[in-house]
Amino acid sequence: MKVALAQISPYLGNLRKNLDLHFQSIEKAKKKKAELLIFPELSLTGYTLMDMVDEVSLEPGKNPIFKELKAASREISLVVGFVEEMEKGLFYNSAAFLSKGKILHIHRKVFLPTFGMFDEARFYAQGKNFHTFPTPFGKAGMMICRDFLSYGASYLLFAGGAEIIIVISAAPGRGTALEESYETSRMWEIMGETISRFSTVFLIYCNRVGFEDGKHFAGGSFIFNPAGEMIARAAYVDKDFLFYEINLDEVREIRRKWPYKRDDKPEIILEALKRIVREYED
Amino acid sequence: MKINESFVEKILTEFIKDELYKFNYKKGILGLSGGLDSTVCAFLAAKALKPTNVTALILPYGKSFSKDVEDAQEIAQLLRLKSKTIDISPMVDAYFSKYPTQSRIEKGNKMARERMSILYDFSSREKALILGTSNKTELLLGYGTIHGDMACAINPLGDMYKTQIKQIAQHLGVPDKIMKKKPSAGLWTGQTDEKELGLTYDEIDKILFQLVDKRMPKKVITASGFKKEAVEKIIRLIKNSEFKRKLPPIPKISSRTVGHDFLYPYDWDR
Repeated sequence: MKVALAQISPYLGNLRKNLDLHFQSIEKAKKKKAELLIFPELSLTGYTLMDMVDEVSLEPGKNPIFKELKAASREISLVVGFVEEMEKGLFYNSAAFLSKGKILHIHRKVFLPTFGMFDEARFYAQGKNFHTFPTPFGKAGMMICRDFLSYGASYLLFAGGAEIIIVISAAPGRGTALEESYETSRMWEIMGETISRFSTVFLIYCNRVGFEDGKHFAGGSFIFNPAGEMIARAAYVDKDFLFYEINLDEVREIRRKWPYKRDDKPEIILEALKRIVREYED
Repeated sequence: MKINESFVEKILTEFIKDELYKFNYKKGILGLSGGLDSTVCAFLAAKALKPTNVTALILPYGKSFSKDVEDAQEIAQLLRLKSKTIDISPMVDAYFSKYPTQSRIEKGNKMARERMSILYDFSSREKALILGTSNKTELLLGYGTIHGDMACAINPLGDMYKTQIKQIAQHLGVPDKIMKKKPSAGLWTGQTDEKELGLTYDEIDKILFQLVDKRMPKKVITASGFKKEAVEKIIRLIKNSEFKRKLPPIPKISSRTVGHDFLYPYDWDR
């Protein structure tokens, strides 16, 4: 499967300009014969929306922007980030997987960071699930940014049978002591390596770049193979377009060598979790 | 507290470029004093923009600080910036001849605000965005004149302690004589920051780093060897200057109020 990652810098709060930005990447990806093109978190809107959240929210079912994206997905599968209005007045930080003219799945961000520089739970409703879903390339699961830093979320996608985990992100960089990149970029890579290796899946992480109110999004999008090896990485901090052909048979090959999936025990974990949660309530 | 200089240079030059571009500006403008912070800002601006797109205003009060004025002019030349020297003494003297004061601080603050006023005027004349030169140490201690040298459109240096500014200055190739100057607010002759604060920047920054970046409690910091009085003084300075880092409070009487729950980003629709 040929996959492309658009490491872009969206305009803050301007859907039309961002749609143009998406179509520029779609054209580029089509020229390279990519089958799947992934955009970062809130790619259609920008990140620091605050009170703009409702003004830029979309209902994918009846929105003209989604109509255009669905049409484009007849030629190339797409993952986009946007603000979704699901029930009246409830806004989600969402990711949509579009393919063959249809929306295959929407993931709503579950872990809304609300600490330090982050304020998401103030503006968004919380998603409630982690689903896997069939795609033309195999079973996939999606997460949005902070979701990925909770390893339980990755486990659910692993237990749900994902072969490809897609993480879309708007992660600002912090810490400049070490190298020519932010210290936090290393944090995402550690998680990428760990989850890909111990879930024996392809792990695709698409982050954005650019500044919003001085926050600097760190880029460094990457792909890990099911052996936990980084096979591609986009530039840190700079705009980039990452293109890579992955061989999905590797999931099968690696699972013969490392049978973590075969040996997983979701029923034990489920019962143990039930007990733990029950004890919380006592 | 060490930073990777070339990475930070890249971040800050990109930030200057990006922010100007978003607001449809090609040019930046800054006040150049001959001190380290404004020199570093000038170096970054010259790298981020074409030097011809950076205006340096040198704004002395009469003949005071003439050595610094010469240094500032030299920096502007070295970087090939557009520069202009304007003596602020006629405006400042006109005011104080009517309302005299003996307070060095009142005089110094008035001068800082006169410079601000000229910078904003030239910002409009030249269609250039004002680049601030306040560092993290000053911002935290409130060691600056509100609506004076603290006023700007964007502040590239605001998340770097003074010691980190020195580090990046070295990397950018700031001339030695500027590097060696004793940091001074320049409110009066002979004033130095360290004398006035009673602590060296090295001590201050180490304490601030523990307090602010590491969020260490006072007890832990003093136990690790810093003087209790020094830590307490720094905490006091931070608390007493919060008003310089905020918009003024507005009494809330409606359901949606500026500064309370009317929440939009600075880069709104940019």
